[in-house]
Amino acid sequence: MVDIGTLSMILLLGMFALLAIGMPLGFASAFLAVVTLVLKFDVDILFNTFGRGPFSVLGQAVYRQMTNYVLISVPLFIFMAALLERSGIAKDMYSALNQLLSRTRGGIALVTSLMAVIMAAMSGIIGGEVVLLGLIALPQMLRLGYNQNLAIGTICASGSLGTMIPPSIVLIFYGLVTETSIKALFTASFLPGFMLASFFMIYILFRSIMNPEMAPLPPEDPTDPKGKEKGLMFLGFLGRLFMWITGVLIARNLFFTVTGDNAVTEGVEPIFLGMVSDLPYIIGAFVICALVVYLVVGKDRSKAGWDMSKGLVAPIIVIGVVLGSIYGGITGITEAAGMGVVAVFVIGLVRREMTFDIVWDSLMRTLKSTGTIIWVTIGAAALAAAYTLAGGPTYVANMIVGSDLPTMGVILVMMFIFLIMGMFMDWVGIVLLIMPVFLPIVLRLPVEEIGVLGHLEARHVAIWFGVVFCMNMQVSFLSPPFGPAAFYLKSVAPAHISLTDIFKGFLPFIAIQLIALSVLLIWPPIVTLFL
Amino acid sequence: MENQSVWLGGLRGPVRLGMIGFTGLALVTFVILIVSQFVSAEPIGMYEMIRPAGRPLAMLMLFSLAGALLFASVYLSDTVGPIEERPSGFFDYISLVASRLAMISIAFVVIVMFYEVVSRYAFNRPTLWANELSLWIASFIFLLAGLYAMQQRSHIRIYVIYDMMPRAFQKTADVISVLLILLFTFTLVWGGFNDAWTRMLRMETFGTAWDPPLPGTVKPAILIIIVLVAVQAVSNLIADWNKAPEHHGHDDIDEHEIETLRRTLEDK
Repeated sequence: MVDIGTLSMILLLGMFALLAIGMPLGFASAFLAVVTLVLKFDVDILFNTFGRGPFSVLGQAVYRQMTNYVLISVPLFIFMAALLERSGIAKDMYSALNQLLSRTRGGIALVTSLMAVIMAAMSGIIGGEVVLLGLIALPQMLRLGYNQNLAIGTICASGSLGTMIPPSIVLIFYGLVTETSIKALFTASFLPGFMLASFFMIYILFRSIMNPEMAPLPPEDPTDPKGKEKGLMFLGFLGRLFMWITGVLIARNLFFTVTGDNAVTEGVEPIFLGMVSDLPYIIGAFVICALVVYLVVGKDRSKAGWDMSKGLVAPIIVIGVVLGSIYGGITGITEAAGMGVVAVFVIGLVRREMTFDIVWDSLMRTLKSTGTIIWVTIGAAALAAAYTLAGGPTYVANMIVGSDLPTMGVILVMMFIFLIMGMFMDWVGIVLLIMPVFLPIVLRLPVEEIGVLGHLEARHVAIWFGVVFCMNMQVSFLSPPFGPAAFYLKSVAPAHISLTDIFKGFLPFIAIQLIALSVLLIWPPIVTLFL
Repeated sequence: MENQSVWLGGLRGPVRLGMIGFTGLALVTFVILIVSQFVSAEPIGMYEMIRPAGRPLAMLMLFSLAGALLFASVYLSDTVGPIEERPSGFFDYISLVASRLAMISIAFVVIVMFYEVVSRYAFNRPTLWANELSLWIASFIFLLAGLYAMQQRSHIRIYVIYDMMPRAFQKTADVISVLLILLFTFTLVWGGFNDAWTRMLRMETFGTAWDPPLPGTVKPAILIIIVLVAVQAVSNLIADWNKAPEHHGHDDIDEHEIETLRRTLEDK
């Protein structure tokens, strides 16, 4: 029997020692779970009969993780991202955006950011995104003579947005560990995610307008339509796109009407945009779009606009399927991920890109990443169960709450710990090992003292903290010495760009991320605006 | 996929035949089952599928499906994927076969979910079994993914200090890691054996309408597969013993991946 203070110290030191000798994180946590139980209970209680005793909590903790329905979304999201990378969807989207913005100062950097936001809304992981942007946008920016630091920073900072804009794998894990509604977390992270992205874009615009040499314009293409013409063409594209969307909605509505599924019954939620009474509105929208396409823009110009921008259609469909499934109330997160896989696969089939090899290769990568991530979960779940049994989280919470630190001081200390840990550790490890200790503390802090300008409601604290954590992890993707985004970019950048160069390019973007983080801390209600 | 054989050698042909044969049989049985949904008075549904006793057709379906999965996994494990290293340890082959099974299962989960969403959303006839079936398959995918990650040495590790150590220290560190993994496995089995054993004997079910024996299979599977992971760790230790020290950059990056991406981009 060791008291809980000593035990916590032993665990902390043990974790450092085991990680230092290169033991896999999941197994190190699992072993420390055993250590916790040995120190908590007497050895003869633990080992007196084979097949039972306190050690059974280990197996139960693993079982709970294995039969968690939401966890299935993790391999499915990874699978979807792997398929997405192997299709030409990203490339087409890039050329479409590029055509639209080619005459804007800093255009390619803006295109890169925009594209990263769209890709972030399709999938929830980073890595592939940075590599893809590095392959597509970096050569072009360097060829045009963009400032190297600006180019690098734009690619990596925007490429990391994948986990800030829903769907986000970081928020899924946060939701699992802390039993917070993942849908609410996604909704809450929308605004901060877009805020961060727009900060990036404002920065790019500001730099390139102040100092035009940083982002030279491409040579003018005489066949390229001019500014206003281009805007009209894009309007034509939007009109046609919305005609398709409303057309599909009308077909769906009629299908329900014919089958009688949307009959008005009491106590049954009406189908969203699927009731007979919605039909006039949808048809009205369809007619307005048609008017825009054929009268305002003109048929030929709309067609040209469609051809110019059709690279945006596939991403919009994928986003519609994934986020639409979640927010349309059709399915949960897990089915949304599954539908995302199907959508990407079908688009790939239509584009004649899917082969057995591509699918098999994606499956192989999916399984590998799944094993890597989920088995940290297994170890951490065992450790969390054992540590909770020993009364650890309560002890730490009492210690921190009992100390005289002001509320925002406690939060700032936590932010500091997240940032430091983020420099060395994967986000999975942090969310699984640190969150079970930190969140209870945050929940016990007086809620009216959180934030400077507005205040949170007590039931939103866990959601707010999840988004704040996610923002912290944005920094960790870029922070030296191990910021993964730097290594991803290094693998595709020209040889003369060194890791030091890359990290140097990150500095202003890290500052922007910290500004965004402080916005969340100073004005917490930004998170709950849409809840 | 036309690489040369990794470990089957002359058996590659027969295994391929077995795969095709069983897959064909499974498909035929499946079609018969689908047709009997519409013509038979007592069609065999998913409820009967997990209670096949006394129903020859259900038995045949399960048998052919198991055969097809087994042969397909063995056959597919005979080619090394571009992101994989050639197997070198004594236990690698078993892990690889298991990994192929898990990969097929991921695709299967997607199909099951798609079926469920279509039938619930488009036809308003939700199934009773789809969610539980995905959960059941997924728990095995998660477990086998860990075995595969162990075989591929892709579990998250921190290499900062490890890479600085001389080779002899690295070997000592590896031995300690493996011993601690074995110790964890031992205590896990020590504490969980009775629970898993009794549930397996009872084939304890989930307590829902479809009622799959989920606890009765997953609980023992956790113990078994974690033991296999520990064996794989020992196998890795032996296989890597005389390898030169390697330096670890960021693990997720591989040249092949970048090469494929480059090619996709250039095609356009």
